[in-house]
Amino acid sequence: MTIAERPSPTAALKAPPRTLSRETVDEIDTTNLKGIGDVDIDDVLEYVHKDLRALPDFTSLYKKYLKQRWDVYELDFTQDRIDWVEKMTEEERNSFLAIASGFHHGERQVEIELPVFMIGGSEEEKLHIAAQIEDEARHTVFFDRFYREVVGLEGDDLMAVLDQSFQWVSEVFVGPFGLLAYQADEVRRNPYDERARVRYGTTYFLWIEGVLALSVMKVTLSYARWRGFLPAYYAGFTATCRDESRHVQGGMRYLQDAVRKDPTMLREIHDTLRTILTISGVNSREIIYEPLGWTEDEVRLLMFQQLRRKLNDVGIKLSDELEALLQMVQPVLAGG
Amino acid sequence: MAQFFSKEWADEVRDAIEAGPTEAMRETKLQEYWDFYAFVRGQYEASWALGCRDLPRELGGSPSYLFVQWHDGHVTDCRIVGPDDPLEATFVLAGDYADWAALLTGYDAQRTVMYRKLLLEEGDLLQFFMAIYFFVESLACLATVQADLSAEAGKPVPA
Repeated sequence: MTIAERPSPTAALKAPPRTLSRETVDEIDTTNLKGIGDVDIDDVLEYVHKDLRALPDFTSLYKKYLKQRWDVYELDFTQDRIDWVEKMTEEERNSFLAIASGFHHGERQVEIELPVFMIGGSEEEKLHIAAQIEDEARHTVFFDRFYREVVGLEGDDLMAVLDQSFQWVSEVFVGPFGLLAYQADEVRRNPYDERARVRYGTTYFLWIEGVLALSVMKVTLSYARWRGFLPAYYAGFTATCRDESRHVQGGMRYLQDAVRKDPTMLREIHDTLRTILTISGVNSREIIYEPLGWTEDEVRLLMFQQLRRKLNDVGIKLSDELEALLQMVQPVLAGG
Repeated sequence: MAQFFSKEWADEVRDAIEAGPTEAMRETKLQEYWDFYAFVRGQYEASWALGCRDLPRELGGSPSYLFVQWHDGHVTDCRIVGPDDPLEATFVLAGDYADWAALLTGYDAQRTVMYRKLLLEEGDLLQFFMAIYFFVESLACLATVQADLSAEAGKPVPA
């Protein structure tokens, strides 16, 4: 199939929500790392949402993890390096780095900030969180390999490569990820404080994973699929997206249960969103999306869609004030 | 060069954060970011106590804090609060001496927050983060002030 025959990166944005067939769901559920390179990223994004209305329990998510985990060292980035050096334009590489670097650092952040949340969870939730920590560690290695073997960064350890890619991370990254770090410390000091856990869960599961990560994943993955480039990146990051479906579903399950047990917890979600939306109305760098087949307005629209679907599916309503703040949100190119 | 956590250092820090980011710092970011910084700063009515948990005794002992009061977009008070002095601030943060030293010798202000090298110990976390970019930029300005970090700096000069 030629580039002209493939759907554009934003084609699904203008289409109604997909209905996944049983066969497609089974394929995404069970395919291995090699097979997931052939799966359409828009199907995987729909797969994330398919269980949000009837959220699975934590044991079911843990069982799914055992079947879906993949070996990050099985990926072969040889063709990706050729694509990066010989086929992608400088503009494409610059745009790609401006987006992917938020993930390089974001995956590391969500890995190290998660252990404290496990302390106050149920035993079943602890299984799910333990699995998620391992997922996030694997995603961190995935980006470390990509930056070393494809982009060409060098370093003696993980942090040395993170240090080098930090130049491409926007200054507004500290908004959601600094907040998560400080909320993790709040939970560390009081691991059974349910209100602190709900505020943490809103930042981590709803905003960073449910909105930022899924939106930005789609930008680079739809570009790679459209151009027919970066096959190992596509396979590894699409597998990452499948992992995220368990994380988002587990996170939404936690928030939904917390509000059902104590409806006043909704206030904690709203207060956290108020801070997040307030600091999300600004960018510090100009990001050129066009080389990847996107515009800034389309990325913003994608983020709105991601947030609204999650809020609607788990039954969380926004106040008028938060709705107004939402209209001013700028895309933050990061995730975890 | 002023001694770290001395009155002279606090005075220089006050001048640096009052002046705000330099032109060179501003050129690296979009105007909309600085407009947001100015908007937040213009209405900021809070104080920070930035502590050093293990400040060497020769430099004042721990915990010592750099207290900064903001009013109408300006620094109205900036001084050192020692271990025996009363401390009251809207937001109390603290970091280890080694992390302060790293910040003052070039470590990034954003990562100082993100990697929890300076942590909020008292104050409303969500309220604090409403002004996070203003805080990080102020921290970056603070870090431009050179300080003598050696324990020797605090010892009396021999007669």
